[in-house]
Amino acid sequence: MAGRSVHIWFVAPAITLMCLILLLPILVAAVLSFTDYSLGNTSAEWVGFENYEKVFTRTTYEKMFTATFTYVFVVVPASVGLGLAAALAINSLTRFGDIYKTIYFLPVMAALLAMAIVWEFALHPTVGIVNKTLVKGCGSWLEVWGWYAYQCANGFPLWLTDKNYAIWVVAFIGIWQGFGFNMVLYLAGLTGVPRELYQAAEMDGARSAWERFRLVTWPMLGPTTVFVVTISCIRSFQVFDTVEAFYPQGGGPGKSVFVMMFAIYEKAIQQNLMGIGAAITVIFMSFVMGLTMLQRWLVERRVHYS
Amino acid sequence: MTDTTLSAPARTERVTNFRFSATETLKHVCLILGAVIVLLPFYVMLSYSFKSPSEIMTNTGGFFGAQELFRDDYCIKLGNEVADCMVKPWIYNYTTAFSKAPLLRYLMNGVIVTASIFFIQVLVALPCAYALAKLRWRGRETVFSLVLFCLLIPVHAIALPLYIMLAKLGLTNTYAALIVPWTISVFGIFLMRQFFMTVPDDLIDAARMDGMSEFGIIWQVMLPTAIPALLAFAIFSVVAHWNDYFWPRIVITGTRELFTPPLGLREFKGDADGDNFGPMMATATVIVTPLIVAFMLAQRRFIEGITLTGMK
Repeated sequence: MAGRSVHIWFVAPAITLMCLILLLPILVAAVLSFTDYSLGNTSAEWVGFENYEKVFTRTTYEKMFTATFTYVFVVVPASVGLGLAAALAINSLTRFGDIYKTIYFLPVMAALLAMAIVWEFALHPTVGIVNKTLVKGCGSWLEVWGWYAYQCANGFPLWLTDKNYAIWVVAFIGIWQGFGFNMVLYLAGLTGVPRELYQAAEMDGARSAWERFRLVTWPMLGPTTVFVVTISCIRSFQVFDTVEAFYPQGGGPGKSVFVMMFAIYEKAIQQNLMGIGAAITVIFMSFVMGLTMLQRWLVERRVHYS
Repeated sequence: MTDTTLSAPARTERVTNFRFSATETLKHVCLILGAVIVLLPFYVMLSYSFKSPSEIMTNTGGFFGAQELFRDDYCIKLGNEVADCMVKPWIYNYTTAFSKAPLLRYLMNGVIVTASIFFIQVLVALPCAYALAKLRWRGRETVFSLVLFCLLIPVHAIALPLYIMLAKLGLTNTYAALIVPWTISVFGIFLMRQFFMTVPDDLIDAARMDGMSEFGIIWQVMLPTAIPALLAFAIFSVVAHWNDYFWPRIVITGTRELFTPPLGLREFKGDADGDNFGPMMATATVIVTPLIVAFMLAQRRFIEGITLTGMK
């Protein structure tokens, strides 16, 4: 081997950057979360657990957790479920499957901020295409649906500025953006399921498509599912673009869309309350890292053959 | 649900079967419905980027709008004749997008930032991956477990401490602020390491016999073999950073010269009034189009890239 220590030159830059950019900030966040630091101050007071106490007791942050978890618990199951359904449907088509695949993947490629602005416009209460289209349906058979009849009589929702709809609309856009990604992962997972297994299952009496799905496809997709769920969780925990685009101040009507990333941004960057921001960062990080660790543990335990 | 599952003869047999085509039709109906919802904002964006303000407000004119000439009030305010100020909506929208804000500058910033990030990532990750995969040295396992640990950390999550550190160094509102936090891609190291593990040792030994240095081996032997993995990583990296909004939003404040495309669009939205929806949608179209077109042209590669990088 030429030059015994040549590897040092190869790994040193990477290790240095890893320590400076990834590890040091964790330490900084952890330390700052116990202080009342703000940018521009020369010194900071040590405040102990005060920041964490605020985060876990004040109603603002209660709303933050509610918004974040509502978003995650809506977006993750829906985008994973839709991704799986789309993958199974597309995979079973005799033709045109690729067209759907392309279309469903488009939102993954498009800048979410740009699409958020377009959605905001499409959902505009008066001139938006959504309400304009919905109004056209009034007076038709669609009024059988109670909600629809009610809205026809009383005007359609304001969507993004309505406290009762805001978080759901933001979650819908999250699903819209993310399910194509999950679909593609599931399609890749499906190619790895051996055909013989289906024949074997059929011979063993798994007659219906549902039985074959339950006995073969779903267990074989186990590792894919673990991965898809984890990555969807991490991505939805990090939601920011849509929230900031719709509600540059305050996190939506009644703070109903005050998600964690936005809270960090608002408290720390806009209001220069670094201590609180750092405390939220630490909590946020433990969620995300915990999730990834759980995923690794599950993969190692080979959930897929359970 | 899973008719894929049928073997080839079974499938041909079923094609003639009415029940099969019924389920197939049902699937198409569902998938088309989904496609309509997925495409809706793209339709709105493209269509409104062609239409005049009044057509946007009244929701008329179909997809392209009637393209009737309309009066550009701003132009009249500048003291021009009314006759000179009549413009076609789509031309007005796109020229306004480029003239009202320095959109070209934003696009160039986007290119500079994404390209620099990718090149530095490769420059840092490739030698490290090579050392981890193909060289034997003490502490290798430790470094690899450090890499695995760092994979757990999402950079967006540590944005705040990074911002504070950059602010302390006086680096906010610079290209460096946009680029530096992304220069280390632990994921890139991991991906390349896995790829290099599959490269036969003989290839490297032969290169050493020829008197090639270890540096030479990385860039002249390993790099060419890693092109497919590198391409996948490039797609992953470029898509992520072209579309990123959170990080630029934090470190770039006010200085328009450094705006990336999403920031530029955001600012446009900030002062958009009724007349500016058309140009705003034109800006959005311009920003979204490059990646969409690239994706359409190299679909398989893109999907492979995104899934490969997804499947750790």
